[in-house]
Amino acid sequence: MELQFLTIIPKAGPLLLGALYTIFVGILACGVGILVGTGLLLMRNSRFWLLRTLVNIYSSFIRGTPALVQILVFYYALAPLTGVNIGPFTAGIMSVGFNSGAYIAEILRGGLSRIPKGQREAAESLGLPRIKVWFKVILPQVFHSVIPLLVNEFTMVIKITPLLSTITVVELTRASQMLYNETFRPVEVLVLAAVIYFIICFSISQLGEYLQRRSHKFRL
Amino acid sequence: MKFDFGAIWDNRDILIDGVYTTLLISSIAISMGIVIGLVICLLRISKKRLLRWPAIIYIEIMRNIPLLILIFMMFYALPFYGIRFSGMTTGFICLSLYGGAYFAEVFRGGVEAVSKGQFDASKALGLSYGFYMRRIILPQLYNYVFPPGTNIALTMIKESSLLSMITVAELTYAAHDINGRTFTPVETFATIAVIYWIICTLFLKLTQMLQSPASVREINNSMAIR
Repeated sequence: MELQFLTIIPKAGPLLLGALYTIFVGILACGVGILVGTGLLLMRNSRFWLLRTLVNIYSSFIRGTPALVQILVFYYALAPLTGVNIGPFTAGIMSVGFNSGAYIAEILRGGLSRIPKGQREAAESLGLPRIKVWFKVILPQVFHSVIPLLVNEFTMVIKITPLLSTITVVELTRASQMLYNETFRPVEVLVLAAVIYFIICFSISQLGEYLQRRSHKFRL
Repeated sequence: MKFDFGAIWDNRDILIDGVYTTLLISSIAISMGIVIGLVICLLRISKKRLLRWPAIIYIEIMRNIPLLILIFMMFYALPFYGIRFSGMTTGFICLSLYGGAYFAEVFRGGVEAVSKGQFDASKALGLSYGFYMRRIILPQLYNYVFPPGTNIALTMIKESSLLSMITVAELTYAAHDINGRTFTPVETFATIAVIYWIICTLFLKLTQMLQSPASVREINNSMAIR
């Protein structure tokens, strides 16, 4: 079969829209992930045994089940269990965000271990309340030190978003499925989609590596 | 809301078949992935540009394209060129190619962690490339490679769930199947989530028994790697 990219490219508008949508979903999911990850980090460092155990169970479960299954469970189980009927878009963002939150928590934990203990002791001895110790002193430094890793995590999130096509979120993969069902040209459409994914992920991961190199250069 | 786990118990044969297929696919894909990863890694660390660049391109493509797109390409696009694989075969090939790239990076990390003096010493002793790689460098990799390698193998077990989209009858597909018959989505998907969790946890415990205590500590610290 001859490749006919020239006939496909004028019709590739939906693919570009899908790509934008993928990035949009990725950013929102990463935002949810950072919130969840920060929450998990705080819970892991809590005084209460129960909270720490809950974090361990949560992260073991997220690490031990496929993202696809998590998305399906979230999408199918939430409405019957809680009576809240959220659309596929919200369900998708939430489930990907909760998935990535567990990994972001690990990244943040790594960052936390690099913060000198004196920072916390100094803040506490100045009489700052616990909330301020965390949110004004510790967390800003943690986030600053893990920015490159968070950028890499973003590419991971982008690579999970194709799974949302199963719950009818029209992101890049779904858009390309629809386009090749319409044009009967799966080869060209899928190659285009792969190229778009490659451009998105590669540029982000290069950015991450650049930030990593720079942070090595300016290490305290 | 009432739960009806009886419907799942009635269809347990499908689930058992699904578990079997998942384990089969992931074990074959992991072993093939390790072999591919080793080859790609040796190419990647080669001094010759002609060998190194294809490996770099391969690794970058595999690491920057979602697995689902790769699977779709192989399953829906290759038949146009007369190459037609069954869903199962597509699954093996895609998963092992995909995992191979990640394993290659893990092995490369290990080779770089082995101190440079080892290479220099082997060369100074006049050992051949094949000999010092096989007998001196690669055996040292074991502890460096095991923790991240376990993570990648774990990821591959989980990624095998994507094959349900090209009708490979593994665990996730079995869940869709049962859900289609009984319409109990909550119970079915919760059940397979637990089954996946058991498989992954057992796998993790099993691999922890195979390694030295030092690298067990390492794996608990390197959880952020997917």
